[in-house]
This record gives sequence, C-alpha cells and structure tokens, in this order.
Amino acid sequence: MILPRFDVLVPETVDEACTMLSDHADEGVRLLAGGTDLLVDLRRPIIPQHVPRCDGCTTHPEGRVLSTIECAPSDSDPLMASGGSIRTALEGPRHAAPAFLVSLHKLDQLRGIERLADGGLRIGALTSISEIERSPDVREGWTALAEGADSLGSPLVRNRGTLGGNIANARPAADMAVPTIALGGTLTLKGSSGTCDIPAKDFPRGPGLSVIKQDEILTDIHYPSPVPYSGSAYYKLANRKALEISTVGVAVWLALKEPGGPVADVQVALGAVGPVPILAESVREALIGKVPNEKTLLQAAQAARGDARPIDDHRGSAWYRVQMVEQLTLRLLRTVLKRIRDSK
Amino acid sequence: MSKHRILNTRAPRVDAADKATGKALYTDDLKRPSVLTGAILHSPLAHARILNIDTSRAEKLPGVKAVVTHREAGTTPYGVSPARYDETVFCHDKVRYVGDEIAAVAAIDLDTALEATSLIKVDFEELPVVLDGRTAMDEGQPQLHEMYKNNICAQVHWHFGDIEEGRRESHLIRTDRLSSKMQDAAFMEPQSILAETESSGSLTMWSSTQAPHYIQRTLAMALNIPLHKVRVIKPAVGGGFGPKASCSSAELATCLLAIRTGQPVKLTFDREQVFLHSRARHQFFHTMTTGVKKDGSLAFLEHECLLDGGAYASFGIATIYYSGSLLGGPYRLKNMKYDGHRVVTNKPVCGAQRGHGAVIARALFEVQLDRIAEELGMDPVELRLKNVMEAGETTCNELFVSSFGMREALEAVRDSAAWKKKRSSGGKTRRDGKGIGAACGFFVSGAGYPIYRSRTYHCTVVTKVDEVGGGVTVSSGAADIGQGSDTVLAMITAEELGLNLDDVRVLSGDSSLSVDLGAYSSRTTLMTGHACREAARDAKKQILEAIAGKLEVPAETLDLREGKVVSLAGELDFSRLRKEYLQEHKGFSDLPDTPQLTFAEASRIAFLELGTIVGTGKYRPPPLGGSFKGAKVGTSPAFGCSAQIAEVTVDLETGEITVGHITGAHDCGYAINVTQVEGQMQGSMMMGMGEALMEQIIYDNKGRIVNANLAEYKIPTALDMPHLDAIIVESNEPNGPYGAKEVGEGAIMPVIPCILNAIYDATGVRIEELPVTPERLVAAMQAAKSRRG
Repeated sequence: MILPRFDVLVPETVDEACTMLSDHADEGVRLLAGGTDLLVDLRRPIIPQHVPRCDGCTTHPEGRVLSTIECAPSDSDPLMASGGSIRTALEGPRHAAPAFLVSLHKLDQLRGIERLADGGLRIGALTSISEIERSPDVREGWTALAEGADSLGSPLVRNRGTLGGNIANARPAADMAVPTIALGGTLTLKGSSGTCDIPAKDFPRGPGLSVIKQDEILTDIHYPSPVPYSGSAYYKLANRKALEISTVGVAVWLALKEPGGPVADVQVALGAVGPVPILAESVREALIGKVPNEKTLLQAAQAARGDARPIDDHRGSAWYRVQMVEQLTLRLLRTVLKRIRDSK
Repeated sequence: MSKHRILNTRAPRVDAADKATGKALYTDDLKRPSVLTGAILHSPLAHARILNIDTSRAEKLPGVKAVVTHREAGTTPYGVSPARYDETVFCHDKVRYVGDEIAAVAAIDLDTALEATSLIKVDFEELPVVLDGRTAMDEGQPQLHEMYKNNICAQVHWHFGDIEEGRRESHLIRTDRLSSKMQDAAFMEPQSILAETESSGSLTMWSSTQAPHYIQRTLAMALNIPLHKVRVIKPAVGGGFGPKASCSSAELATCLLAIRTGQPVKLTFDREQVFLHSRARHQFFHTMTTGVKKDGSLAFLEHECLLDGGAYASFGIATIYYSGSLLGGPYRLKNMKYDGHRVVTNKPVCGAQRGHGAVIARALFEVQLDRIAEELGMDPVELRLKNVMEAGETTCNELFVSSFGMREALEAVRDSAAWKKKRSSGGKTRRDGKGIGAACGFFVSGAGYPIYRSRTYHCTVVTKVDEVGGGVTVSSGAADIGQGSDTVLAMITAEELGLNLDDVRVLSGDSSLSVDLGAYSSRTTLMTGHACREAARDAKKQILEAIAGKLEVPAETLDLREGKVVSLAGELDFSRLRKEYLQEHKGFSDLPDTPQLTFAEASRIAFLELGTIVGTGKYRPPPLGGSFKGAKVGTSPAFGCSAQIAEVTVDLETGEITVGHITGAHDCGYAINVTQVEGQMQGSMMMGMGEALMEQIIYDNKGRIVNANLAEYKIPTALDMPHLDAIIVESNEPNGPYGAKEVGEGAIMPVIPCILNAIYDATGVRIEELPVTPERLVAAMQAAKSRRG
C-alpha cells in the first residue's frame, strides 16, 4: 500500500487537538482515531479513478441513479483544480491527502463505556468497536448497537476501529451510525468555541460529509435510557459474513405502551440506501399507536421501503435494495417484538 | 500398514517452521547493497494510440537513475505460446487496457520512483474501446491487434464421434447456458522482483514466480541475452494459482533497469497492480446441448464457448482448448462437438487459474446433468454413476485414463454425506431453502507437452550425497509456491535412501539447478517426483556398490533402511569400515556404535572410494494424445478425479446463501503426504466456493476496475467457510511415482456445480450467471415465481 507523506501530531488534550485542526486547516489535516477508515482513504491509487466508497448514496431526492462522478463536487473544488483525482474530490474537504494527521491515541478521557445515573449510556468516541461488542451493558440495553459492532469488519478491524471514527466519517453504510440513529443517540462535538450536542440523525450531510466544523472533535456519544417494554436490533445484509460494507443495513428500535399493547414509539434507521443513513419517518406514522400484528408490521416495513433512496452501485441495485429494506424491516420488527416479549 | 516409512504419512512440511515464524524469505524480504526501487507507469486509458512519450522531466528528477520505455527495451514480441507472441516489454504503438505498461523508472526510493513516473508525459490519441466480449467479434468493432482479425485471438472447432448419430439416439435433449465474470486469483503475496547483473554480463532475477524455467527463456529472448547468462531464482512464494506462471512486463522491466543502472533493482506490486496485471481466470460464456438415452447414458454433447480474454493472449490459447477437451471425461461420451472462440477486449489480461479453462465448463455440464436427472426422474448421483469411466478407458478426444477412482470417489461422498437420506428421491427438488447437490470432475496430472515445442525433459533432479557423510542435497528447478513440493521431494528422497526427513536438504526453484517446467498443470508430484525417485535410487546404488565392493558381498544383498545399511544375506563384518570412520572422527561425540553400519559411515566411505556421488533423475512423458489439431492440450500421463457434495441453506427472501458442509473425495492415486493432499482439497473447496458465490472483477464504462482491492473483491472469510470433509481415494496410478498423481487442481472442478446444484435443490431456480450473489438469486427466484404465475 502506497501512502502519501504526512506528519503526525500528538495532542495531550482535546483542546490542543482542536487547535491543531484549525491551525493546519489550509495544509490539510485529518484525525487519526483507530485508522481503519483513514488508511483506506489515504492510500494512493495507481490508476486515478473513483474508488467506490459511495455506499449506495444519492444526492438526488427522486432516487434517480447517479454515477459516482456526478456526485463529485464541481470543478471549482481546489483538489480537482490541482489535478487531484476524482476520488479525493469526492471525499470532501476532510478526506484530502493531508499534510498532518492528529493522532488522538493519548486522549484516554475519550475512551470508555459509562452507565449514567439516569439509566442512559455514555460512550467515549475513542472506545473501540470490540469493547462495545463485549460490553454486557450495551448488549442488554442497546442491543442494536452491539449487533452493529458484531457485524463491523473483522476482529482486527474492531480492535482498532472506534465508535467515534465510524460515526464521524459519515459513510451512509456505517454499521455504528445506523443503530445510533435508531437508538436516538446524541453526539457531543467539542471545538475551540465550546461544546454542542446534536442528534445523531442530524449529523451526516452526505457521503463523507457532516455538520462537524473544521476545529471540532466528536468526543462522546450519549444513548438515552431504555424505556419499559422496548428493544432494538440491527441487521447487515452483505455478500459475505465478515469484512463487508453493507448492501443494506437496518436498525430498529421499538417501545410498546404495555406488554401486548400498541406501539408507543418506533425508530427505524436505514443504511446504504441514501447519501446518509436515513431515519425512516414514515414508519413512525405507520406504526405508532397501532397494535403490532402482521398487517401493521407489513405496512410499517413498506413505509420504510418508501423512505429509502438507493442507487445502483457495485454492491447492489436500487431494485434489490428497496426490497431488502422492506424485508429486513419486517424481520427486525418481529425480532424486536420477540425480544420485548422474552425479556419480561 | 503402509508399505512405506515416510510416504503416505502426515509428515510436517519442511518449510512449516520457517513460514510460521516469519523466517522464510520472500522476494520483497531480500536485501542487496545499493538496491534501487522500480516503479511502472501504467496506462490510464483502455485503448489509445501513443503519439509521443516524453521522459525528460522524469530523468531530471534528483534520485532517478534510469527511465526506460520501448526505446530502450526494444519491441521483441513475447508471450506465453510462441504462436501468439503479442506483447512487448512496453507499449510502443498503442495501449490496450488500463494498466498496460508504458515505462519504468529506477530511483533511490519508492517516493522518487513514483514521482518520476508521474512526470513522464504521454500524448495519447484516445480510441474507442471494446469492453464486452460478446460483441467483440461483431463487424465494425474497434480492433485491438492487427494479428487478431475481428478481435479473434484463437478459435477451436472439434468434432469427435458423430453428433447427429448422438441426436438420433437421444431420448432427451436439453440446452443450458452459464456465464462467469473475470476473476482474480487473490494469492497472498503480490508479485515482487529483484534483479541484479554481474560484470560478466550475467543477469540474476529473484521473482515470485511459478515457473523459473519459462521465465528464464522469456527474459533471454525478449532482452536478447544468452540463455545461460540468465538465472531465475524463486524464493519463498505466497501462492500463484496460475497468474505467476508466465513472464511479466514487470519482470522484464526490472531486469532492464538493473542492466541499465548496473545496480540491483527491486519492484514489488501494490495490490492494485496485482489486479491490473491479472492473468487470472477468463470470463466464460458457455452454451451446452446434451442428449441422453432413456436409461440416462450420455449420447452427445454439443458445446459452444466464448472466452473474453482481455487485451493479450497470455495462456489463452491453452485455456480455450482446455475448455473443450476436459469435458471428454469423466463420463463415457462418444460424441462431442466443440466450438470455442477467444476474443480480445480492452481489459486486463486473463490467463491460467487453478483448473484452467475447464472450471466453468465443468460447472455448466454438471448443472446440466442434474437438470437431465430431474427430467428423467433419476437420482443425480445414480445418473453420474451410470456414466462414469473406469481405468483403462479412452475418451472420445483420445485421453487415456490409466487409473480412475471416479466411481469410488462418488460413492464415498454419497455415503459420507448421507445423500440418500437427505436428497429427495427421483431427482425431485426440495425448494424449502435447504438443499444438497453433487458434482464430479477430473483434471490433468501434468501437461503432456511443454509450452514451447520441444522434446525437452520436463524436469531433472540431482541428488548429491554429502561428501562428509550423513545427509543428501536434492537440487531441482521445481517451484514450491506454497503447495509443498519441497516436502514431497524430501519425503521421496528420505524414503528411497532410508533417511529421516531432516537429513535431506532440498534446494529448488532455481533455473541454475535443473530444468523444471514449474508449478502449473498439477505436474510436480508426478513428474518431478519421478525424477526425484530416480535420482535417489541412482545415488543409493552408487553408495551400496561402493560398500559392497569394500565388504566383498554382492550389492543386491544390501539395502538402506532407517539410516542403516542392512544385509539381506546374513551378518556383515564391517568392523574395518567402522574403524576407518572412527579414526576420521577423533574428538567427535555421538559416534556410531550400532550393530549395523550407519548411513553416515556408508556415505562417507563411499565418497572415499568414489569421490563425489551424484544421483541424477529425469522425466519426460511418453508421446500422448491424438493427431487432430490441438490434440496435445489436455493430454497427461494421468488424470486425477474428484466428487463433492455441498449442503446449503438459502434465505428465500434475501437470497443469502450459507454453505454448511462440503464433502469431497479425490483420487490422487497415492497420497505422498496425507495432510498436504487434504490441504489442496480444502483450499480448492474454499476457492471454488468464492468463485461460485462472490468473486467478480467489476469494470466501469472506461475499462477501469472498480474493485481492485481485497476489500471490494470478495473471497470467502473464515466465517463463510463450511465444514469440510476431505476423503482421499487411492487408485494406484501406474504412470505416477508410487502410484501418485495430482490433487492441486482437480479438486476445484466439482465445487462450483455442487453448490449450484444444492442451490437449485433449495430454491428450484437455476442461475445462469456467476457468481450467485444474494441479489442474483433473489432476481432469479422472483423471475421463476412470475413465470409460474
């Protein structure tokens, strides 16, 4: 693998890291958390071309098939103008070949899984995917997130990869972002001018693009306390059983008013079927207040299908993806209902 | 109880510890003083005329030692088959695929070399491209090569027996189709090359290659160097599977850079370059029409095949022959017609890959047999058993099978997998998401003829007895590329000389040691095994004759066993010899005090008598095959055969396929090393499963590979692997050493079709396009549903 030349900066504090990000903005700077996505992005291709990291995205509201090149920013992009490949342009400003990497490895305060007094969960952005995978707390209360961790990459990737990195990279297929959105997660972003919290669903803005500012770092992710009679699940559909980017990923969180009663609340998040992970709002309309049965669940699954905006790419066609959104949503709703029943 | 002490055991591989601990040296590990780094400029365009190449800026970059193009390399055509020399070291008139080599640079480090390649300015006139093999032959298509009219690189038209008679005899005739995608062999070690010259004008190249001898010849020819001054050495190699069996532009370019700079030059491929260079599995489009009689016996096969081979010929001419010839068995088939076309397109070049041209053809034929069984209401295994050939039979295309455990292999997997219990009777399918399928296949045990026209020995082996006594050194040009041939040579030598494995040193993979055609066509155990046995026996004879002379007994009464000289005719008085040996070794410990003369003593005394003791062995197959055009491809001194049963679970809504179990049985004649035979079978099953379900090179509309990396080019992971059972069948091949024949490639033949047949059993739908991704399966299931209404 051929990498470009870069310098590595090692901040001792989050503030220092933010300063580094803003100081080197002009020369190109990127964060090094686990490095598992970063290395892939930094790799210099032999043949200049678009490397398919589009993850089934489209920026077109009607789901028209867009080629990757059409997705690319205009020629005015400085990277395009300087002869950079289409690929680097696609990745957005933070994905350029950087002169500096800011390695976060000394920021231990960003690691760890913490149960909060209100029953919620705080996970530091630098927490490894394997730590999340192994956490009994996560598996018990936020099952979809544990299942996202199970499905991500391989054991080696999970040991290095971080929750924050997976979410902050804003890939439409990110296995941790999709459950985080369904679970109602909130992201804490810290920058020179202070700290702000933002719902995970509002974070991504396009493939590799997000609302994060140049000098901001994602520090922790907060998951609300599980409510009674609730549960969650995630499923990743792909061509093999590990080391995959999903063809479709679906996360479902659902709460009942009472055992056997109507749906109090539901959130379904869809991965790899749009430019960003999609929170399927229509499912809420279709299911909240209804007693779950095969008919209402099917209506909900069809609603999810209607919210998907996939394209054709090398991982799968839009035709297949929308069907799988429906199928997987239906299955996961059943799975979650069973989990709620079984946990009584 | 085996008749052998070393052979037919699970002896650990001689290189296992070195590879497990990282001590084994691959080409990229090798260090030379003042070594330069090489880099290649690849074409970014799939088809273009080269108007001008300006290297001046690259040459001026500090740290650059040489920049070479066709101007320095010349334009001597080379390739694999002398009938299709269509490549030059660098492109000079046109580029024909994205990745085609235009220039190379040697510099003080990789960064400088890469920067220099980016400074080479090439003016192109872009030409229209041919990307679809199916239309490449059409009128008005852009032409890649002047020598290939209508982009046809090779064609084969065969007719054995009488198809029309076969039609008349047929009770049932059906036509089926299957196509595949270009593939990558996905070996672990990317190609790596280190080249160095000496003041005498000699050239040494270390390379991750399967075939030092062929590479030596191509380097000498294309670079115009006397053959004897070119030495090719193969260090440890991390897999080849075919693509490393021919000389590459990168090898030629690295040698040229070493010659021009007078310094060693190393060039190692990035994984993307492995995909660009490719030379892996072709894309196949097969159509087969098969007729059977009422009782299920085969009446005829009419077979059409189109091969998309990418931009150059490579092994393609052999590929197209193999696609047709290896359907001659393993079933009795009197009438067979084959029409094959290999076309060139503006894509990376296809060549040989495990199973060569026969794999996708075999897949379709075995799928078709299941469809026929279903229509006849016969059990698919019974249909096969009814047709299998037996030892001593000859196929319609004149392939003679001297041993053939096809029936035994098929019965073994049928019984081991409890086929009769799991499979519905009468060829009916289950269609409930669970399925079981069977298939067979066979393959050559070494190509009957070399790639260049010659009556050369295919291999020679020199076994030299240590002059100090005690051990032997086996020297061979054979290429251990991870398949374990060094272990096989050590085991054969130890067996013959009555030694332990660690008393045998194997030197191999070096063109200066001996002629050996290399690791391809599953040839090494049979062919180099023969030569190795002969060399060991020659050395043994010399030792025993010397000792017999000293002891004044007939040599025939002596033998070497378990490190000792044993007498078959009463006790020996060897005290004089022992005394001499002990006198030589004053101060040594562990001196022999056994009641028998040791091998160390005997080999030392024999040296004192004779001087250097060298045993030699050689092997060349007898003339094989018919006299029709192309009859030589597919011939072999022996044929291995394989049967497998796959059990799958299909998610009928998402199309996800889980292969739960594959039971395989392979007739390898005689297992020299039991563990290695099983390893080849397991590796074949894994590779075939990837081809069946995951593997495909994907191109964009400019001929660029979209998935030129192992993240997006999918091969099975550990989690995808089913439970594997490997059953060894031993048919005692008369033409093989100790009865041994191949297992390296034959075991891949049944994998794809047994999985496809199991998927059909599970779903009731056939797929006509590989790989069977979940999406393709869902599409096929929905299409079948709408047809049924």
